[in-house]
Amino acid sequence: MTKNLKILLIEDDMIEIMKLNRTISTLKLDHKIIEANNGEDALGILEQKDNLPDIILLDLNMPKINGIEFLNILKKDDVLKYIPTIILTTSNNQKDLLECYKTGVAGYVLKPLKYEDYVSKIEKLLAYWSINELIVV
Amino acid sequence: MGQEQLEILQRALKREKAARKAAEKILEEKSRDLYSTSQKLEELLNQKSSQLQGVFENIVDAYVVMDLQGNFIKFNEAATKLFGYDISRDKVNVVNLIYNDDYQYAMSSFLELQTKGYFKNYEARVYTKSKEVKWVHINASVIFDKNRKPIAAQGIVRDISHQKASEEKLIESENRLASLVVNLDSGIVLEDENRNIVLTNNKFCELFGINASPEDLVGMDCKAASEQNKVLFKNPDAFIERMRAIDTDKKIVLGDELEMLNGKILERNYTPIVIGEKSKGYLWTFTDVTLKRTYRKSLEAQKQKYYNIIANMNLGMVELNNNDEILMVNQSFEKMSGYTEAEVIGKNARTLFAAEDADILKKEREKRKEGISNSYEFKAICKKGKTRHWLVSGAPNYNIDGEVIGSIGIHLDVTDTKSLELQKEKLLEKLEKSNDELQEYAHIVSHDLKSPLRSINALVSWLKEDNQGSLDATSLQNFALIESTLEKMEQLITDVLNYSSVGADNSVKVDVDLNSMVNELVSMLYIPDHIEIKSLNILPNIKGDRTKLQQVFQNLISNSVKFIDKECGSIIIDVEDFKSHYKFSIKDNGIGIEKKYHNKIFKIFHSLKKSKDSSGIGLSIVKKIINLHEGEIWLDSEPNVGTTFYFTLKK
Repeated sequence: MTKNLKILLIEDDMIEIMKLNRTISTLKLDHKIIEANNGEDALGILEQKDNLPDIILLDLNMPKINGIEFLNILKKDDVLKYIPTIILTTSNNQKDLLECYKTGVAGYVLKPLKYEDYVSKIEKLLAYWSINELIVV
Repeated sequence: MGQEQLEILQRALKREKAARKAAEKILEEKSRDLYSTSQKLEELLNQKSSQLQGVFENIVDAYVVMDLQGNFIKFNEAATKLFGYDISRDKVNVVNLIYNDDYQYAMSSFLELQTKGYFKNYEARVYTKSKEVKWVHINASVIFDKNRKPIAAQGIVRDISHQKASEEKLIESENRLASLVVNLDSGIVLEDENRNIVLTNNKFCELFGINASPEDLVGMDCKAASEQNKVLFKNPDAFIERMRAIDTDKKIVLGDELEMLNGKILERNYTPIVIGEKSKGYLWTFTDVTLKRTYRKSLEAQKQKYYNIIANMNLGMVELNNNDEILMVNQSFEKMSGYTEAEVIGKNARTLFAAEDADILKKEREKRKEGISNSYEFKAICKKGKTRHWLVSGAPNYNIDGEVIGSIGIHLDVTDTKSLELQKEKLLEKLEKSNDELQEYAHIVSHDLKSPLRSINALVSWLKEDNQGSLDATSLQNFALIESTLEKMEQLITDVLNYSSVGADNSVKVDVDLNSMVNELVSMLYIPDHIEIKSLNILPNIKGDRTKLQQVFQNLISNSVKFIDKECGSIIIDVEDFKSHYKFSIKDNGIGIEKKYHNKIFKIFHSLKKSKDSSGIGLSIVKKIINLHEGEIWLDSEPNVGTTFYFTLKK
């Protein structure tokens, strides 16, 4: 029994947002995407405690609050820290990888160059989280 | 006969009668006198006898009487004690007492007693009853009866053993003294008032080269002798003059030095010997002090030498006592500290020079007290208030009893070196930081550069998707070219990032088993079927960074694979063991590289064959990694035949 996920995508690149949306529609999945262009926006969205996302897809390289800073804020929050957060980034910097797992992430996915590869990765990622039991607040 | 005659006779008779009567009367008186006299005499005799008896009995010295056969008939108490015989019981003859060696002397003395009636000052040894030998002194005389006939002999015997013993000792010590004088290491001349030699010794003869025994010189005139000897001295006239002056003065002179022609130096002393008020002569002593002088001179020279070293060395020297008070500083220290010696003597070095580092000096003082030497650094405050860094080599200072009485420190101003060191540290820190920043920067840049590529790729694929069927073959091909260009661009960015990461990642060096690593690598890489990879030897273990070493082999093997154009490709991996390093070789039968490019290929962005999978960074990364492992890389190649890459790695 797969379920439809409410996904918070925190991404400043317009095309990246389009990529995820197109991927979901191409794959004919019924997940709901909430878009946030930066960390601040995302925090605003997350203030509505009655409408929290199931998972968060987080880009690391963002203006203002960067991904790792955002992750730290998230993990300090008693409620938000339970939302699985998957890093979706171009950076394969070992330092970033280490830092993210240390702070606590549910996954770390590198954005591939080819769109087909991207589609395939996202498909697997979403399929995985659709079959997981998630904490319902 | 006539009347006249008769009358004469009668008168004569009468005178005769009267005379007889008078004579009788005188005789009577005289005999009366005589009687009383003899009475008196007898009394006196008795008196004297008992007196004598008492004397003999009580005399301190032994008193003995013997008969003419030599048998003792009387011993007083002292004699009994001396000889140990009790003659009331023991029968003792004089012969029993005579010491064997003195027998002859005893007999001749006995004969003297018989002929002269006495002997005096007989000194000889006797045996006592217990066979102890004693020295005795005897005066003896013969006893006569009233008819002058000898009846016995008497003697007074004194025990002189002790006296004898000390006399012997005296003689012994005199002999010793004499031999001491003779063999003394100083030449000695004792002369009398007239400057004639009374006593001299061997050393004197030796010093002055006199070929005679000291005894032969006795009585010789010193004045004349010195005139002869003066030629032995460097300055003969001064020698004579001084000697005369001393002789005239007759006062004690000590420590005159005389230089001899043969290089010896003599010390001359002159001592008048006066006993009471009377002069007993003059004693000259000559001692060879050549060795002592030259020793002192060389000691002096050494001292001067070290003094000069200490004074002029470019290191500051300070001597402290146990309370850190300054006892001595050299010129360099004055220059270093800005203080003069007078300003620091007696001051406490710790309070004077060390402000914040006083604890360091305190600890060092404790080490000195325990006899430990070491070196240390501290911040010193100089006279003008400037802080300087001093490197101090400190050692305990001992007195001749081996007790620590302070310390000696050699100071070197290391401020300049120190500031260089600090500068270096700061630079390193800065370098590290900027390296980190650069690393960070490379990642961000590569992210920023890759993002548009991804977007373009996505957009291109959407264009293709959305216009499926309506695009012609050329357009599709162009789309494919855009995609491959994007891929190449992305690879380029990845390689640049890798290249910049090679030097930055300071991962720990571990033992890497190259053999298993390369085997793994070969099975992992894509190797076309027509290419065979062979290892001629087992590859060794190397200390290094596993990932980077793998990158080296991976790059070189892939390069070989990439450039093999023959039908049967061959890649041969080998290793040679050298003393400090290993030399690896990877040989292929590929297209080969022209000589003129051999150096260029290791430079970044120098790919010879522009291709989809060659960014031209691979070999520059390889070279960088090998250099990091203290190795070199070079190659041998012949175009169209093949290429061999050689590289070394430090053991």
